[in-house]
Amino acid sequence: MKTPSIIGQSIPRLDGPAKVTGRALYTNDLSLPGMLYGKLLRSPLAHAKITRIDVSRAKALPGVKDVITGADIPQVKYGNWRLVPQSQDEMALAVDKVRFVGDEVAAVCAIDADTAQRALELIEVEYEELPVILSVEEATAEGAALVHDESEGNVSLVRKIDYGDLEAMFAKADYIREDTFKVHPVQHAYMEPCSCLAASEEGDRVSLWTSTQTPYIVQCLLASTLGLPENNVRVMKVQVGGGFGGKMELRPWEFCASFMSLRTGRPVKFTLTRADELAFGRRRHAMSIYSKVGFSKDGKLLAKDFQVMLDGGAYNAMGPTATFLCGTFGNMLYNYPAYRYFGRHVYTNKPPASAMRGFGAPQAAFAAETQMNMVAEELGIDPIDLRLMNAMQTGDVIPDVATISSCGFKESLEKVRQISGWDEKRGNPKPGKGLGIGCFSFISGGVFNWFNTKYNFSAAEVKVFEDGTAQLATMACDIGQGPDTVLRQILAAELGIPIDKIRLISMDTATTPKADLGTWGSRVTLMNGNAIIEAAGKIKDMLRPVLFSELDLNQIHDVAFEDERVFVRANPKKGMGFAECVYKALRGREGEPLTARGYYTPRNKGLVSPAFSFGAQVAEVEVDTGTGLIRVEKMYTAHDCGVPINKMSVEGQLEGAIQMGLGYALMENLIMDDKGRTLNTTFLDYKMPTAEDMPPGESADVITYEPEGPYGAKEAGEGLAIPTAPAITHAVHQATGYRCMETPITPEKVLRALGKIK
Amino acid sequence: MALPNFQVHQPKTVEEVLDLLGRHRSSVKLLCGGTDLLIKMRSGAQAPEHLVSLNRVAGLKTISYAAGDGLVIGGAARISQVGKNPDVQRLYPGLAHACSVMATVQIRNMGTVAGNLVNAAPSADTAAPLLAYGASLVAVERGGRRQIKLTDFFTGPGLTVLEPGEMVEAIRVPDPPPRTGSCYLRLSARSKVDIAAVGVAGFINLDLSGKVIRCRLALGSVAPTPVRCPEAEAMLEGQDPGPELIARAAAACVRTSRPIDDLRATASYRRAMVQELAQRVLTQSLAMARGGGS
Ligand SMILES: Cc1cc2nc3c(=O)[nH]c(=O)nc-3n(C[C@H](O)[C@H](O)[C@H](O)COP(=O)(O)OP(=O)(O)OC[C@H]3O[C@@H](n4cnc5c(N)ncnc54)[C@H](O)[C@@H]3O)c2cc1C
Repeated sequence: MKTPSIIGQSIPRLDGPAKVTGRALYTNDLSLPGMLYGKLLRSPLAHAKITRIDVSRAKALPGVKDVITGADIPQVKYGNWRLVPQSQDEMALAVDKVRFVGDEVAAVCAIDADTAQRALELIEVEYEELPVILSVEEATAEGAALVHDESEGNVSLVRKIDYGDLEAMFAKADYIREDTFKVHPVQHAYMEPCSCLAASEEGDRVSLWTSTQTPYIVQCLLASTLGLPENNVRVMKVQVGGGFGGKMELRPWEFCASFMSLRTGRPVKFTLTRADELAFGRRRHAMSIYSKVGFSKDGKLLAKDFQVMLDGGAYNAMGPTATFLCGTFGNMLYNYPAYRYFGRHVYTNKPPASAMRGFGAPQAAFAAETQMNMVAEELGIDPIDLRLMNAMQTGDVIPDVATISSCGFKESLEKVRQISGWDEKRGNPKPGKGLGIGCFSFISGGVFNWFNTKYNFSAAEVKVFEDGTAQLATMACDIGQGPDTVLRQILAAELGIPIDKIRLISMDTATTPKADLGTWGSRVTLMNGNAIIEAAGKIKDMLRPVLFSELDLNQIHDVAFEDERVFVRANPKKGMGFAECVYKALRGREGEPLTARGYYTPRNKGLVSPAFSFGAQVAEVEVDTGTGLIRVEKMYTAHDCGVPINKMSVEGQLEGAIQMGLGYALMENLIMDDKGRTLNTTFLDYKMPTAEDMPPGESADVITYEPEGPYGAKEAGEGLAIPTAPAITHAVHQATGYRCMETPITPEKVLRALGKIK
Repeated sequence: MALPNFQVHQPKTVEEVLDLLGRHRSSVKLLCGGTDLLIKMRSGAQAPEHLVSLNRVAGLKTISYAAGDGLVIGGAARISQVGKNPDVQRLYPGLAHACSVMATVQIRNMGTVAGNLVNAAPSADTAAPLLAYGASLVAVERGGRRQIKLTDFFTGPGLTVLEPGEMVEAIRVPDPPPRTGSCYLRLSARSKVDIAAVGVAGFINLDLSGKVIRCRLALGSVAPTPVRCPEAEAMLEGQDPGPELIARAAAACVRTSRPIDDLRATASYRRAMVQELAQRVLTQSLAMARGGGS
């Protein structure tokens, strides 16, 4: 069957005009009559016992409607890993002790924001300071103070992977190297700071509008922490201004807004500031990484020993998943006859790290790809050739993980070599200039059910109407990455109707079909796309008989749905309009609408993901060796995201990924003092690259057909965020001789390496 | 936090400004672009009850240049206006550069040079070039006018010699003689929208034989205030500097600097950058002066 023409089209975002003209609504734009304003009191200390809290003066302040502390709320811990209850280590408000600067201690709501702020200042808290732990090394040292008393030596979770005969393979290796790397924390820096609005209803029910990427998870965990049936909680969203992994858990303000709304009977809103986000928000894990690799002298990869400590901060958050995935990404790109991974998720007294675009992969790949480049140099093999020799291919098996069902990695390497002028430029280095490479692979959604849902991972409900239009209802979450457009494109392709004839009902846990695990792990296009195709298939099953009976067709005929028509594929003249077909199908259904549901849950797809993307990226840099300043002149990317459903959307992901990768490699960093206080809490000092820092780019799509994906598609969201930092690191090395083993690359580090600063 | 209550006054003349300053003496601030002041008010660091806006005062935004007399920048002239002024671009390229790369487009359209100086941040971008050009400020108060050399103006981070009842009416910059070269270079981690981690400005005037008659060097972000570099200036005057002398003069600039470690850079990086940028500034300024001057 030929692919419908709408697949692959660069359809601009349907939500774009409203967003660029300022008409789009975000959570903080909402308000309800009688609404109260909530604020959080946070801990000024990184680690301390709470010895006394007195809220009486705050409560007495006129205009204050409620004040709550950890003692007032149900003593139920939460966390996304419901499958492993002991991993659930968080409470909305601190009980007995605080574990990071910013840990939520109390919440107030009042008739206006200023009154709420004054009330916070009237809450008296006495603390007894405890030793502060700010690194994984300190946390795992003998006799270290415990962030959580239940943990063993501050390690909250261990993940091991072990296959092949590691010792034998290292014994066989002609060349072995061991390196240690350190990667630093960065933040999602989504445009929209977190915000939520809760409104209690009759019968202990609550509706919550929130800036989230996982409404279903918020619904379930909010219900359990409030002590209410799941069905009493309804979670909705309006537009969400980015998430990147930072909005995929239940958060204290969501709980406090709901809890206080139930108590006061009035709507309650919380909105964070940018300073809150930078100082206390989720972030990408800092890691300490040890990697040992063994190669034959002709460049064949034999074994890898990969040991990682993740700096998890004060709570698990999504750290357990990052710990798992870090191990999986440590060996994803190449064939390793033997591989061992030992990952430890470590508690420290810092704001919790969690999921962030790439989810363990940017860190693992920074180490793995940088090491690959070091090996290439030492063995005297071109870095691209070395990769080609060991690259994954379609049909390869990652033991215990997956069989790769489509893989355009080698093609990506060849392509990026060509478009970047690699052989020419790399072979003729100019002073201060360099070319470097980094590669990636990523999952298209996760298989592992850590949330322990009883529902399908994705679901869609399709309705068609006699006016020729359709309605798609899905819990899938557009947080700016584009599924509101792409999913409608898939349905339009299936039903053969224009995209603007599809109304979308998105993301309301009470009215859209259960469930959707949310926007993370680059899962939405593949998983929700498949659910939509199944639902549309059922609709077509209901429509097809109309054509057969109206036209008295022989049962061997195939029926097509294209151009708003339903017709005999072999003889397109025989057919009728889509609207007419729906109209006729509705006759004889005794008023029952044409509705169908489709679902997707990956089954028998190994342990990690049903499909994997691949790609290679080359960075071209120029370094001013007098000042150490690095200018990325151009980025070249060749990548395999299967069949792109919307090319413009894929390009947008690529550009955004380069911007984030650039910041990760060169500028962004959360700087903390020795008391665990974050010092750079504005965008002036948390340095994200601006539009003017963006290098021009050139890219090539390597098209593979992924059998498990809708129309052959797989992920294009997170994988691209991985290769930029190692590619820049490699290029800076060629330009200056400085090899970054501890991110970020700063002008000062370059100059130290050049001996210009002692 | 919302802003505290305050009252905004929109006088039309300098006399009215001075009256208002006197009348509300106990709690009043001048307001130009507000790009420093409003941030401080929002954070609670300042809470004046009265703001006297200079934005509608007649003539205060004027930028004028006259050969021989030099440049006069009005006390409410916007940074972007200064950066785009053809005379400034032609004769004061260091100042023009500062005014076209600092902050952001929006901030440059609102912020003023006077506000930048009175705010007295060690990193104030217009300060180093104006020091290098030998600028002074015209300050007025109800009692009269005085001229303050910019070298005497800054007393510490956020501190100046300006009296509470005084306002900066204008900034005067002398006319650069022929065979003058000048420039300003600044470094920051991000290409744009960033505070300078180090800034160096230079001004060199040569005699007919190519010897330095007058040299001024100024540094930003490497001391509690923007500073001049008298030691380096003295080393260069009377000389026909080559690369070796330039390097030694730059080293003297490093000795003048008193950088600290902070979020934006370490002291040792800043020192190395004073050396590097001072060399570049001197080399560029000399080349410009030798070519006949700006
Ligand atoms: C995002 C951002 C980026 C920035 N980047 C930079 C940068 O790169 N480089 C840099 O140097 N600065 C930067 N700044 C700081 C600021 O924009 C400048 O210092 C600007 O020049 C201030 O001018 P203003 O007119 O806005 O001052 P205002 O905020 O109006 O006033 C500042 C102070 O000066 C006083 N004042 C103003 N005018 C007069 C006068 N005529 N007489 C007496 N007192 C007066 C006011 O009372 C107040 O105390 C940045 C600011 C922001 C918000």
